[in-house]
Amino acid sequence: MATVTNWIDHLSAKEVVGAVYPGAGSTETLLVILGIVIWIGWHVITNKSESEELSRLAKKRHGANDHKDNITDW
Amino acid sequence: MTDQLGALTTIFTEFYYWVTVVLMFLIHVGFCMYEVGASRYKHHQHTLMKNTMLIPLVTVTWFFFGWWIYWAFPTGPGIAPSIMTESTALITDDSTFSAKWYLANSEFMAINLGDHISGVFWAAFLLFSWTAASIVSGAIIERITTFAFGILAIAIGSVFWTIDAAWGWHFDGWMLKILGYHDAYASGVIHAIAGGFALGVLVVLGPRIGKFSSSGEPRNIGPRNPWLVTVGLFLIYTGFWGFYAACNIPIFDLGPEYGMEGVTYWTATNIYVTPTTLSGITFNFLMSLSGGLLAGYVVAKGDPFWTYSSGLAGVICASAGNDLYHPIQAMIIGMIGVVIAYKLHYWVERKFKIDDAVGAVAVHGYAGFVGLVICGFVLNGYPSSGYSVGAMWDGSTYASINPLGQFLGAIIMFGVLGMLPGYIIAKVLSGMGKLRIPREVEIAGLDYEMMEEAKKDEKAVSSATR
Repeated sequence: MATVTNWIDHLSAKEVVGAVYPGAGSTETLLVILGIVIWIGWHVITNKSESEELSRLAKKRHGANDHKDNITDW
Repeated sequence: MTDQLGALTTIFTEFYYWVTVVLMFLIHVGFCMYEVGASRYKHHQHTLMKNTMLIPLVTVTWFFFGWWIYWAFPTGPGIAPSIMTESTALITDDSTFSAKWYLANSEFMAINLGDHISGVFWAAFLLFSWTAASIVSGAIIERITTFAFGILAIAIGSVFWTIDAAWGWHFDGWMLKILGYHDAYASGVIHAIAGGFALGVLVVLGPRIGKFSSSGEPRNIGPRNPWLVTVGLFLIYTGFWGFYAACNIPIFDLGPEYGMEGVTYWTATNIYVTPTTLSGITFNFLMSLSGGLLAGYVVAKGDPFWTYSSGLAGVICASAGNDLYHPIQAMIIGMIGVVIAYKLHYWVERKFKIDDAVGAVAVHGYAGFVGLVICGFVLNGYPSSGYSVGAMWDGSTYASINPLGQFLGAIIMFGVLGMLPGYIIAKVLSGMGKLRIPREVEIAGLDYEMMEEAKKDEKAVSSATR
């Protein structure tokens, strides 16, 4: 996985390779797919939890000033 | 890098953009403070989190596709040929400034010893993206779902503003060639588009409960924490300095760039690679800020919320031409923008029952639009690019700056890429039942459950004996 194992060898090469991260040249597309899955997954998870929270709160039908009873003193 | 002078130039440019990114972060800090200060207590935490979460959402999507769009779309596609490829297709070939290098899986979208600029330049544009999304965020507080806002933030921050930047804020953009479009510090490409987008969303979203009386008279729901709003706006001003610097290329030799044989001319340039100075734009930034504050104080009769916002609107209005204006021109243009934006805000509010909670559509949208139009008159005849000068509509050369081109550009920014997509996406989200929070939740407050839990904890702790 390591792209660089010896800096002296790496920098004294005829042409220095710029990309030095682990898996350079072979894993980028996989990483992008993984990133997109995480991004879309985040929307799915948070949408579900937000919908549940909103419907739970909507059922209680609190008044416009009820929250004032919940203001903490600390 | 093997020669020291070249290395110094590169590292200076890298550091320059990095500093602007850090400064621009203050814009977002300011927007968060401003929004929380403007919202009511029972919505505070959700308001804050909504604006905060646009940071990761816009960042990751900007990495995945936003940055690629900027480099691929200057030609339209299909509207005007690129000066690099001489084709109207998307720019995805092997040329130096091709979008090919900015695909998310490119080796240049990472630590690369051969590239010191892509990351900081990507980040500078990303911070503009956050700003665009954050402008929308303020207008729609207290009644939008976080899910819907996330989608809208990605749409404006990683899609529509980057298309407009490719078209009108890129040295190869078709709007420069066809229209002679000029917008050095983003009156249109950030502010008008974001204001227009917010307006499109607001039309569908509707006003907050209680904003309008049964007879349709608007009621003022003023900022709940004026001090937070004040500090927030000062921070936005501060970040705006970084924004101005980030819009420049700090050091560039225009001689070879323009193909002038034997000429060497090192200078700072704007994003269009035409010369300006960081020193000169500092005059104009401060004078347009002052013009906005002076006019805002008068027109809003000393109201602090509008006076501070007017300072911002003044800068926004003058931004299109602040690379070339005289400071007093910048000041006067800032004043004009503020008066029009303020009057238009209240007219639109009454006439169309639009509840723009923080005046974002006015400060960014109207002031940005007006700034573009004024720029067309004041800079009429200036070249929109250094590469060539040609006629309007020609497309193969660059048209000069002119009033009609700027007016059409303002419509594209505010209307075509701003208001229209905002309206359509909000309509779709509304149709899915995902746009607006339930009425009962809006009345109770988005933070009700959090506050209830905190109160329970407080009672438990205060009655605890061990």
